[in-house]
Amino acid sequence: MTETEKIHLLLVDDEEKFLNALTERLKLKFFDITPATNGEDAIKVAKKARFDVAVVDLQMPGIDGVQLLETLKQSHRFLEVIILSGHATIDTAVACTKLGAFKVLEKPCGFDKLVECIKEAYESRLKKKFENDTQRMKKIQSLAFGQSALGILRELHKMDDHQK
Amino acid sequence: MTSHASDLIHKQGLQFFGSVNASISHELKNIFAIISETAGFLNDLTQLSKQGQAFDLSLLENCSNSIAEEIERGFDTIRQMNQFAHSVDDPVKETAVHDTLALAVKLTGFLSFAKKTKLEPSGKEISIDTSPFLLQTLVYRTLSTLYRALDTGSELTLTLRESETSLVTVIFSHDRQADLNDFPDSRTADVADLLDASFTRTDTGLALTLPRENNDLRHKFAGG
Repeated sequence: MTETEKIHLLLVDDEEKFLNALTERLKLKFFDITPATNGEDAIKVAKKARFDVAVVDLQMPGIDGVQLLETLKQSHRFLEVIILSGHATIDTAVACTKLGAFKVLEKPCGFDKLVECIKEAYESRLKKKFENDTQRMKKIQSLAFGQSALGILRELHKMDDHQK
Repeated sequence: MTSHASDLIHKQGLQFFGSVNASISHELKNIFAIISETAGFLNDLTQLSKQGQAFDLSLLENCSNSIAEEIERGFDTIRQMNQFAHSVDDPVKETAVHDTLALAVKLTGFLSFAKKTKLEPSGKEISIDTSPFLLQTLVYRTLSTLYRALDTGSELTLTLRESETSLVTVIFSHDRQADLNDFPDSRTADVADLLDASFTRTDTGLALTLPRENNDLRHKFAGG
């Protein structure tokens, strides 16, 4: 990865020291990091900026990791969410996967393993986005036949809903 | 041990012991994760230095301080784990109440929904004849319930008082309203009953009253 193709990463953990150390290390690997120490702040920044991948802790005061995962997946269709937690159990891993988590990693997790997982999640996001764009192009082509300009715009608006 | 006391220890006790140990292990995982990432960052800085890249030397100092602090936090957590593990050594014994409260505040502090809690110093050591493990269970469950009932930013203060010669009272006072209509739940009430303890509501929180002597409890644990 080079500086020009930075992955935009949202990093959420209430352990500030862990968050700071991981942020510094990931910056050296050319990731563009936005750290947040709680779920509420993470949701606020996610509304304003586009992220490729989110790395989220499970147990946090206020909005916990599961609630944050649900909210992020609902509002950002292509965002991949990795759960990184010291509280992960088989049950929570299954629940998070059902809610759309890309992977559940247990703390402490090796740094190289985490970086690899973020890259895989990013590739998955690109693939999903590409497939969606291809489908969209096909729909636009089919819409172009026998539709008014306003009708085409309406259909495009429906398709683009919630595609952040 | 009577069948009721035995049931309480085996069912609730084991579950409580497990859940506290799980929260301690999560705390230790967090500590190791911080040490691991900070040591990794130190290594990254070393590699940068070898490549001739300059960086702020204060980063090195911050990293080594952070590692030292986390190691101290780890030792502290292990001391609490050890203290908690030894609470099952004697079924009933003279138990320092302030020490039990201090440990419960630290152990519940690992919970993500814990609130800021202050334990007032006690003028003198107050000990009661009780089950150290069940007393720890009772205080822990009370604190957990209060943390869940209180809003973020609320503060809790614990004060220990000798209300009468034969009684000791722990006052849990909070600075904001809390919905405690369902307290104590049946499990907490069972533990309180066995310890001959009782809860009363006050304007600003809860009061837990404990007997100094509890011959009945010794009798129950002895199987009479």
